[in-house]
Amino acid sequence: MADMNNMEKLFETSDFIKDYFEKQGDVTAQYSVSETVTREISYIDDEFSLFRTLFDSNVGVGIIVDKKPGKTSTNSLNKETIKETLDNLLETTKSGMADDCFGLAPEIEGGEFTMGVLEPDIDKLMERAKELIEAIKNEYPKILLSQVILEHIRTDAVYRNSNGTEDVTHKGSYGVSLEFAGKEGDAVSGISGSYIKIDNLDTPFIELGRIRRDLEEAEMSAKPTPVEGKFVGKIIFTPECFMSALRTFRENALSDGVLIDKSSPWADKMGSKVASDLFTFSLKPWDSRIIEHEVHTVDGFRSEDFTVIENGVLKNFCTTLYGANKTNGKVAPNSSSAYVVEPGDTALEDMIKGIEKGLIVGFISCGAPGVNGELAGVAKNAFYIENGEIKHAVTETMISFNLITVLHNIIAISKETLCSGDWVIPYIMADDITISGK
Amino acid sequence: MISDILGSKKSCFETGVQSVLRGQENRLRLAVLHQGILTTNQRSEENGVCAIVYKNGVKGFSSMAEFSEEAAEKVIKAATENANYLRKYASSEKVALPPINSQLINSKRFIIDFEQKRIIDLLKQVDDYVVAHCPKITSRTVNYREDTMEKYIYTSDACDGHVAYPRCRIAVCLKMPAKDGSTVELFELVGGFGNIEDHFKSLDKVYEKVDHIYKALCDKAEGVYAEAGYKTVILDPRVAGMIAHEAIGHTVEADLVMGGSVAGPNLGKKVASDKISIVDYAYTYQDGQTPLPVYIDDEGVPAEDAVLVDKGVLTGFMHNRETALKYGVKPQGNARGYAFSDEPLIRMRNTTVLPGQDKLEDMIASVEDGYYLIDTGNGQADLTGEFMFGITAGYEIKKGKLGRAILDTTVSGIAFDMLNTVDMVSDEVSWSPFGTCGKKQPMAVSMGGPAIKCKINIGGR
Repeated sequence: MADMNNMEKLFETSDFIKDYFEKQGDVTAQYSVSETVTREISYIDDEFSLFRTLFDSNVGVGIIVDKKPGKTSTNSLNKETIKETLDNLLETTKSGMADDCFGLAPEIEGGEFTMGVLEPDIDKLMERAKELIEAIKNEYPKILLSQVILEHIRTDAVYRNSNGTEDVTHKGSYGVSLEFAGKEGDAVSGISGSYIKIDNLDTPFIELGRIRRDLEEAEMSAKPTPVEGKFVGKIIFTPECFMSALRTFRENALSDGVLIDKSSPWADKMGSKVASDLFTFSLKPWDSRIIEHEVHTVDGFRSEDFTVIENGVLKNFCTTLYGANKTNGKVAPNSSSAYVVEPGDTALEDMIKGIEKGLIVGFISCGAPGVNGELAGVAKNAFYIENGEIKHAVTETMISFNLITVLHNIIAISKETLCSGDWVIPYIMADDITISGK
Repeated sequence: MISDILGSKKSCFETGVQSVLRGQENRLRLAVLHQGILTTNQRSEENGVCAIVYKNGVKGFSSMAEFSEEAAEKVIKAATENANYLRKYASSEKVALPPINSQLINSKRFIIDFEQKRIIDLLKQVDDYVVAHCPKITSRTVNYREDTMEKYIYTSDACDGHVAYPRCRIAVCLKMPAKDGSTVELFELVGGFGNIEDHFKSLDKVYEKVDHIYKALCDKAEGVYAEAGYKTVILDPRVAGMIAHEAIGHTVEADLVMGGSVAGPNLGKKVASDKISIVDYAYTYQDGQTPLPVYIDDEGVPAEDAVLVDKGVLTGFMHNRETALKYGVKPQGNARGYAFSDEPLIRMRNTTVLPGQDKLEDMIASVEDGYYLIDTGNGQADLTGEFMFGITAGYEIKKGKLGRAILDTTVSGIAFDMLNTVDMVSDEVSWSPFGTCGKKQPMAVSMGGPAIKCKINIGGR
């Protein structure tokens, strides 16, 4: 828990904002007052070289006046500054345009939520980091380790809204981030990385997440070769790679903007098949594997887990209250990024064995796909598979497919899942991908 | 606005320890009209102080969300404690960084704030224009964004400074049904360094751009997929700017060179066609101001131009004080942090390919079968110099003439290989002043270039 003085300061600031709006009359408001302490240690160029401690605070306020929205934030907890900020906000909001669809959730029962590890053990964190670096030096001699960043972030916050809701949250977690490349003589692979969020230091870092596999793959990648010619084949998306795709689905097919202007390819697909039967995708902020839970939505509803696509059928959009009002739809039960894709029944090794000609792809370097979902990108951290075996790392190899329709082409989902601390995703295999090399 | 109240706190620097104190404010002004409705209406400020202490080869850093003398004392103390703690884990002593002749360096321009009403009125005018002049569109978004940054920098052994980076722009995004029933979109940005008065006193330039993208979007709606393969292309200046930044710029940032970038073993070697020279400019370009003038960096180093590639030869890297010492060169002011709580990283400023002597129309006429690639959404590159750019607008070139528009695609290649294929470079540089580079922290950058004729991999069907 934050020390009492700090929490008192957050409540005092929140009280000040509450009083301010009560004096203004008919203002719908929600506001969050928070303090964050970040400790971050960087290992760069074979040295622990930088230790940062950041003391941050934030006041975020959203209001609706005469059906007009306004939003502001400041990182000052000084009352004079906050008053000036709120005065400006009211003035700014008057300049807006009215729309009946803006709104705020009714009062929900408030709560106090504590998540993760609030107090860091920096000495232990350093010991784990040294152990990781030694393990990489001893076990992965072809790795050029350019950077390790260790962090602990702790945030305490008080959220209130004018309908009476009050949530208090305390959350803290460690993060471990690595950046490295494979090296053989003068040949160096492209950059690879691993990131994982954790709430304890019980496990040696080298054993976390996909770190060992990422290191092994980088060692194999110092001398990549292009795929020959152009063909249509299968690819396996690694969990990190598929995570990026999920963000695009959300943006291009499920969010307010594309549903309001009807440019979403799924605008009229509610209850219809949009993916293979194998595919079930949810947003689960309360999943036990997710370290920091979203407790309320951006509109002040209590966050609840929900399924977006179940066995290939579209069940929910990711709409806010505004988006739902604007489209006569339902408000999504959470606004988090806690992506969870259900695992399948195929082992990753068997998925690889099932590919006659294709790729396993860790990252697609591409322009942000437009709403039509067409995507052409460079396969990065990728390996060529032939006759069920990984042959070699690839370079100068492009893949093309439609990011929306590819969901219909999912033919296997792995038993294995990767949990980053923020999301849980398996390996996904899809067919009918155009792969072109030199 | 922040004021000059921190200078006296230089007295808190530990004697003989290289230290920097920085006070900073970042401001955001944002308004979004989607389908004529104001969906975002935001103003926010963030300010605070930070200190960085370089002691026996390690660095301690601390920041506090409070712009005050008391906060300055606290962060100097906390940064020193952090450096002392980290010293326990350092494997070797390092020498002190070479001092820099001290002077006071100030920006030529500072920030002016405008009422939100004026911003929203501007957007309404642009939105009205779009409605009146773009009859086939099915979706429109018009937004205004202003990111400003102001810093006071105080150092123990380098320069002090007061700098500001005001930037604002209006973005217009239009969508329209394509002939196959899917949706195509294009966006355009207008604005740059400065404020509303500099860029939007008249909206004629915005209207001109709206007309331009509406025509391009109508063409794109009838567009075809590019044919995948290794093709001869003309990269418009906007795309060539991305080459300067992504494909070459990042590989010659000294921290990435130390991480194994392909540029490391190629210093002093021929890496590109003779027609290619690339410079990261500080504050002047061809006797005028650069799109993002940087006079001093966040380590107190006076900014100078950094020549990266000269007539095809890789001539230099970009540095902070520490890497400059390691490589035995003079730092040129490339270390910048985004927020008050960010440590300075090696960042580009105004990175451009220099102009050649060819005319764009002659370049197009010289292509038998290829593409003219006009606009890019984003780009990425890695340590190997393998790069990609998303292409959002372009046309086929057949027998020296522009043909059908193409749908979104991606181009890629290995930077040095691609630059060796350049055989024509146009005589005019065009700058893109709105860039935000991502490298742990975001950072305002600008990039530019002339049109370039080269061979490149293009994605497609």
